[in-house]
Amino acid sequence: MLYRTSGQFKTSYESDQALFPVKQDAWLLMVILVAAYVVFPLTASEFTFKALLVPVLIYSLAAMGLNILTGFAGQLSLGTAGFMGVGAYACYKLTTIFPEMNVLVALALSGLFSAAVGVAFGLPSLRIKGFYLAIATLASQFFLVWLFEKWAWLYNYNASGAIEVRTMEFFGIVVTGPTASPVTQYYFVLAVVTIICFAMINLTRGRYGRMWKAVRDMDIAAELVGINLMRAKLTAFAVSSYVVGIAGALLVFFWKGAAEPNLFDIPLSFQILFIAIIGGLGSILGNFLGAILIVALPVVLNVLPETLGISINSATMEHVNDMIVGALIIMFLIVEPHGLARFWALIREKLIIWPYPH
Amino acid sequence: MNMLVTPETRSNAATTAKEPEVLLDLENVSLSFGGVKAITNISFNIMKGEIRAIIGPNGAGKTSMLNVINGFYQPQEGKITFNGKTRRSMKPHLAVSQGIARTFQNVALFKGMSTLDNIMAGRATRMKSSMFWQILYYGPARNEEIEHRKKVEEIIDFLEIQHIRRTPVGKLPYGLQKRVELARALAMEPDLLLLDEPMAGMNLEEKEDMSRFILDVNDQLGTTIALIEHDMGVVMDLSDRVVVLDYGRKIADGPPEEVQSNQEVIDAYLGVSH
Repeated sequence: MLYRTSGQFKTSYESDQALFPVKQDAWLLMVILVAAYVVFPLTASEFTFKALLVPVLIYSLAAMGLNILTGFAGQLSLGTAGFMGVGAYACYKLTTIFPEMNVLVALALSGLFSAAVGVAFGLPSLRIKGFYLAIATLASQFFLVWLFEKWAWLYNYNASGAIEVRTMEFFGIVVTGPTASPVTQYYFVLAVVTIICFAMINLTRGRYGRMWKAVRDMDIAAELVGINLMRAKLTAFAVSSYVVGIAGALLVFFWKGAAEPNLFDIPLSFQILFIAIIGGLGSILGNFLGAILIVALPVVLNVLPETLGISINSATMEHVNDMIVGALIIMFLIVEPHGLARFWALIREKLIIWPYPH
Repeated sequence: MNMLVTPETRSNAATTAKEPEVLLDLENVSLSFGGVKAITNISFNIMKGEIRAIIGPNGAGKTSMLNVINGFYQPQEGKITFNGKTRRSMKPHLAVSQGIARTFQNVALFKGMSTLDNIMAGRATRMKSSMFWQILYYGPARNEEIEHRKKVEEIIDFLEIQHIRRTPVGKLPYGLQKRVELARALAMEPDLLLLDEPMAGMNLEEKEDMSRFILDVNDQLGTTIALIEHDMGVVMDLSDRVVVLDYGRKIADGPPEEVQSNQEVIDAYLGVSH
């Protein structure tokens, strides 16, 4: 009943192409933004920030980057974690070489490094497709993690082989390092994710989005309407790796605080891929839904038995979590390949015509 | 629709009717894949403003011919002159900027995208705004989007597909998909439109619709059309001139009536006893 599109007439292409042609969608987004910017910071505990809110945002961002490449441009990638690592290490090096640099600037620049690496490893996509490309990106994954381990310059010859985030300030407020408060870190991450999300929505609904989707749906026809396949694929790799790289830098600087090379190993790649698949390939909203599910599920499963008064040891719970996630992925691949985002689209459609079935 | 029929295009069509001008000229073109000769030494031309049919039995090399024209295949021999420019080879994605658009025998639409997006994709080469403005969806990017949307809506009106604007094309019936594909080709505003079996698999009514659209495109937009078709009734009614291929060779070329009575053509279609 809340969703009614009747009476909302479009009299110009401008209003028809607006970000929210339906008024209710804009309201819904406002509610979510108010919740994210006002309600959560006021109510959430430190544990909630560290275990739920910040990880959800960072994983959503990484999945969004992967979704640009796999969901929109149709190039399957298994090297997401490697590119996240490039972003993280680039940010680390930038902030140690130029200690005066603003954190936000360092973040934006480190994305450029991962974009460049992404384009380099995206070159095989000009020749190979599908599973073969996935294997090529898998090679990049292994190569990059090996590089993070062996190239001591990357972690400033630290004896432990890990990178540790020092305390940094953003206009006088401590945002990274052990002394930073979770709320400020949350706000910082939230702001970055909001900006990039806005950029990606615009990018995917305009010229570039159509170009990428055309390549995904039928590359021969795409070439025939005058789309340069090489440019389309490489821009997708660049934009995707840029976003993924920033997600990697956020992961280390605003959540983990320190990182060893194996953090960027293949399980992280798969986790991001699962979020993108469960959330919905070719959707921006889906990344958030998928990340909420994947990140929240283990937390909920950990807390749930206690509140119900059942004692199950945490190792068992971890296995249960793996089983549920595995089952969900299989279910989504069979039942709804477009993921949670499609579920929402269906619900929305039903709400608009409710109470009539058609 | 009114905007499409500018006096300009009208007069264009009128002048081409007076003094025919060659738009595309193929000279001794040969194409082979390894030892298989797909096209052997074919020459023919397409005049500005005409509807040219390419017919022939299965495997005659008709589709290969179209692929040579729009640069998918590079012929080993021969000369191709389009709009006064001579070339041997060309990258397919450059065909559009030269003014050649095409539809496929098996519909080649972007199935996950809406009708509107599919046709907008046809404007890909004309949209130039930078990634910076795209990200903001403001200024040049938004103006460009609206400007091209206007043009696309004219084409949607022209082909009478307003009602399926927002539908993903994968869900559309076959006849409509064919029409959307034509719309996408028209969005490229081509000088030469190549149609590969535009009526394959259609019922009578859909064929009549499509024939009407093809004639309208030719008449009102002044677009030159080359089409492959197996329905002889359609070919004879629509086309100004017909070229007949068989086993990669040209066996006849001329107005429909003349081709129809050509003994070699009849033999190619019906077979001869040896």
